[in-house]
Amino acid sequence: MARLTTLPEPMHSHLADLPCPTFDTRPWVTGPPLSRRRVAIISTAGLHRREDRPFEGMTGDYRVIPRTCTAKDLVMTHISTNFDRTGFVQDWNVVFPLDRLHELAAGQTIGSVAQFHYSFMGAADPGAMEQAAGRLAGLLKGDAVDAALLVPV
Amino acid sequence: MGALGHYLEAEGIPTTQISLIREHTETIQPPRALWVPFALGRPLGRPNDPAFQTRVIQAALALLETEKGPVLADFPDEAPDGSEPAEAEMDLPACPVSFARPDGQKTETEQLLEAFRQELADCRSWYDMAAEQRGFSSVAYFTPDASFQVFHDFLLDKPIPLDDNIASTALALRLAAQDLKAAYFESVMVRPDITLPDDTAFNRWFWQKTAAGEVLRAVRDKCRAADDAALKLNGDLLLVPMDQASA
Repeated sequence: MARLTTLPEPMHSHLADLPCPTFDTRPWVTGPPLSRRRVAIISTAGLHRREDRPFEGMTGDYRVIPRTCTAKDLVMTHISTNFDRTGFVQDWNVVFPLDRLHELAAGQTIGSVAQFHYSFMGAADPGAMEQAAGRLAGLLKGDAVDAALLVPV
Repeated sequence: MGALGHYLEAEGIPTTQISLIREHTETIQPPRALWVPFALGRPLGRPNDPAFQTRVIQAALALLETEKGPVLADFPDEAPDGSEPAEAEMDLPACPVSFARPDGQKTETEQLLEAFRQELADCRSWYDMAAEQRGFSSVAYFTPDASFQVFHDFLLDKPIPLDDNIASTALALRLAAQDLKAAYFESVMVRPDITLPDDTAFNRWFWQKTAAGEVLRAVRDKCRAADDAALKLNGDLLLVPMDQASA
């Protein structure tokens, strides 16, 4: 499990000592009921289409994953060796729950599934993701997304 | 992850997120977060358990309807059996690497590569069968044979072929290592003589019992000794997990 206090060394110290950004503001955006929301997944698992470029370095860039993507189309090139990948090998939904999202839309729990989803590579410096996040917000608005589900790895 | 939630919300996009490290989320304070007590790498809890995954995703999405924040909620349940580390040794055949063979013509590296080649030959049929059963493989760029060639060439000081997507030796080595581990796990998934291992047992077997693990340690050591900064980073951090670095 990922309770920091129970992780063995050296992982415990590595994660405990990671610098985390803090913010002076508390942005808060409301929206319609969940059953009318259009949802996009934003992953930091270093995922991308098989034919896309692998993740490399800490530049904070992202890859685009279309709604029509299936398990066989998606690969993971996150640079870290320190998390479990065997779950993803068995079932992509344990990292990127697009099948679950389609089911929730079919059951009208959510309004719809966004046309495009996105993945960063989470080992990048959060500050390096800030500019990319600004561009990403424009893409999400263009897709009428009013709920972003952020999924770490 | 929490910073990304902050950035997107500030740009007008409502966000909710899953948190794997509660302490990080407490510091960053993104608008909405659901902490889950699952293994790193398994934010939805358990593979091939759609009902459980749906409960997790619904709990995270429900935070979008809270009235004020930031809000950090806790998912109440551990992942069902299968995602927690097991202490039992994985009962898999090992391919011992012996440097005591009376073959004076081969260096230790050549003997290690030969053991690796033999181990891959045993693994290959199961890997192919897994891919056939599932209709795909999680291997991204390097088949087992291609991974072998990358490590063989690097350890024997031969150039590694590169292309537009994989434009450096360091990147080729890292991706080949990731693909090799995925291929070994896929081969284990379909073997009739074992129960599918959890991540802890698989890693212990891969890094401590296989020739592949030993080859990757040799590649790690050679990367550490290189002048190239990207190769050094590979050697220091990106080839062997922290908990296996000294094994």
